[in-house]
Amino acid sequence: MALPIQEILTGLSLGSRLFLIALGLSLIFGVLGVLNFAHGVLYMVGAYVTVSVAVGLGLNFWLAVVVGGVVVGIVGVVMEMGFIRRVYDRDPLDVLILTFAFVLIISDLTRTVWGNQSYTMNAPEVLQFTVTLPDGRFPAYRLFVILVGVVAMVALWFVLQRTYVGRLVRATSSDRDMAALLGVDVPRLYTMVFFVGSFLAGIGGALAAPLQAITPGTGDQVIIDAFVVVVIGGLGSFVGAFVGAMIIGLLRSLGVLVVSGADLFLPFLAMILVLVFRPQGLFGGGE
Amino acid sequence: MAADAEGLRTRVLRNGWTRERVYAVVGVVLLVAPLVLPSFQTYVLTEVLVLALFATGFNLLYGYTGLLSFGHAMFYAGSGYVLANVVVRVVPALGLSGVFGSATPLVAYVVGAVLGVVFVTLLALPVGYLSVRLEEIYFAMITLSFSMAFYTLALKDVWGLTNGSDGLTVILGSAELLGFGISLADRVTFYYVVLAVVVPGMYALRRLVASPFGLVCEAVRENSGRAAAVGVDVRRQRWASFVLSAAFTGLAGVLIVPLHWVVAPGLAHWTTSAEPVIITVLGGSRAFLGPALGAVAFRYLRWIITQFPLLEVHWQLVFGVLVLAVLLFFERGVAGGVSAASSWLSELGERYRDDGTDGALAHVRSSLAGYRRRAFGRHPEEGSP
Repeated sequence: MALPIQEILTGLSLGSRLFLIALGLSLIFGVLGVLNFAHGVLYMVGAYVTVSVAVGLGLNFWLAVVVGGVVVGIVGVVMEMGFIRRVYDRDPLDVLILTFAFVLIISDLTRTVWGNQSYTMNAPEVLQFTVTLPDGRFPAYRLFVILVGVVAMVALWFVLQRTYVGRLVRATSSDRDMAALLGVDVPRLYTMVFFVGSFLAGIGGALAAPLQAITPGTGDQVIIDAFVVVVIGGLGSFVGAFVGAMIIGLLRSLGVLVVSGADLFLPFLAMILVLVFRPQGLFGGGE
Repeated sequence: MAADAEGLRTRVLRNGWTRERVYAVVGVVLLVAPLVLPSFQTYVLTEVLVLALFATGFNLLYGYTGLLSFGHAMFYAGSGYVLANVVVRVVPALGLSGVFGSATPLVAYVVGAVLGVVFVTLLALPVGYLSVRLEEIYFAMITLSFSMAFYTLALKDVWGLTNGSDGLTVILGSAELLGFGISLADRVTFYYVVLAVVVPGMYALRRLVASPFGLVCEAVRENSGRAAAVGVDVRRQRWASFVLSAAFTGLAGVLIVPLHWVVAPGLAHWTTSAEPVIITVLGGSRAFLGPALGAVAFRYLRWIITQFPLLEVHWQLVFGVLVLAVLLFFERGVAGGVSAASSWLSELGERYRDDGTDGALAHVRSSLAGYRRRAFGRHPEEGSP
């Protein structure tokens, strides 16, 4: 039997979207120590906003994606500056429950604005062609999504490892008080990181809009997947988020070839195996 | 002077309301309530009781052991599914009504309930074993993932036990025992069944948290490193707490399913797992009765919300804002609020006795100022002098 290239590519494109959200989740956790439960609903808001801007207002797809990302980033900034900032010194579980309150609030507000129906949109015209593969044709848009995931990975790595801002972020992440003493404006840095993390979630949702129907349940599904990804990869590790996301994406797309319904359980099975043999995640503890 | 103030507090504020008397009054109210309440209110009160047990069982793990589970719906629904299968499938298939005669519905319920609790306890053993390898938010994520795996299994009906998204209908019939007719489907009767399970259940939990086991749980919550240093097997303690918490949650599950007449995958969804979290935050996790008070607040707030169509559409928003407000401004929830209010009032009484109206007003002013400082204070990092 030949390699199921189509399924592999489908899995990688799913993994790429999961990576964008897991990356934001991991970034915010790694620097702020906050696990943002609302990351899934932020992804969903990104998708809704993009569809509304692209289809409703008839604007350019690329502009709509950026608008989606920025709107979600601003929502994240409001969350951080208005609320989460007040509870950094509290029990991390309090902070988790606080972000959970935002899941309730944001999903209620999105339902108010966009209703219960599902939304879909077309891929941009530039990418509405297919690539011929040995076993069939493959939509170029999915290849593009894979590329975005890789670019995001490389870009974030570059910023964190090679730029001044990245150095500040890493310093604050390893010792907040020391960084503050050395003159780093920690609250502003936190807000910035929260913006970037939320922006990534928004972009993930925006890019997903042409690939899946966006419904009020989208956020719930995505946050569960993202949690599985970061548990497998190790929370706070970007390499881990990447590998974890690709593993989950591939298990989802290849699982159906083995047993029907396997796509739904294999991710959980993989997570349990990781927990048994390597509780800190495949790439946890490092970074 | 101190003894004097204590005496004043007892006289003025407690006014003879000892703990025992409060319990006695609550007990009488709970016993009499269904006889005077309209049918729907009896139903609501039954739910309050079940939610109180659910949240208190959850809080054994959260408030006492310091582990936040976002997956308790798995045990809540798990026992419910076992009960449903026993009542709907196993008992009719085995033809047990020939053996137990007119008492069959009651026997089926009791057997189903016991098996349900046993099942979730056994389920909690491996799930807990794996979950307690992680702590804090990692623990919350892993329990969430496990429960969503369970939800998926129930929804897809992998083993033909759950009837997919429709779920199983569980209507308990009427039984006759020693000449008494008992209709378990009757709301008032079932209320008393629930009361007869919840009260001993809560008492067992109360004894549990006051026992050496409960104290070790608190030690693990406060500082797991030190607990380990004095010889506590931290992971095992957490595991035991997890399994016990799941068992009590399962007990609540076999009460809620016959009340709702149905068990469907929604009961295993993470939104159900979030209920004891919200309830415990509202009620306060550091007092034993906090989750129970939270259950009262939660359920009656939902009822009040349903009275206003505009609010009903946005109940998620209402609860989200409420949780946010409690977390930001009332750290210890309803239970904390009650105890803070009583000590504030006694302070007010003392000041009034010492300095008259001026003293009392000064007390009000200073606590308002302190509250403003706490609620809207600057973040430590912003460099307040």
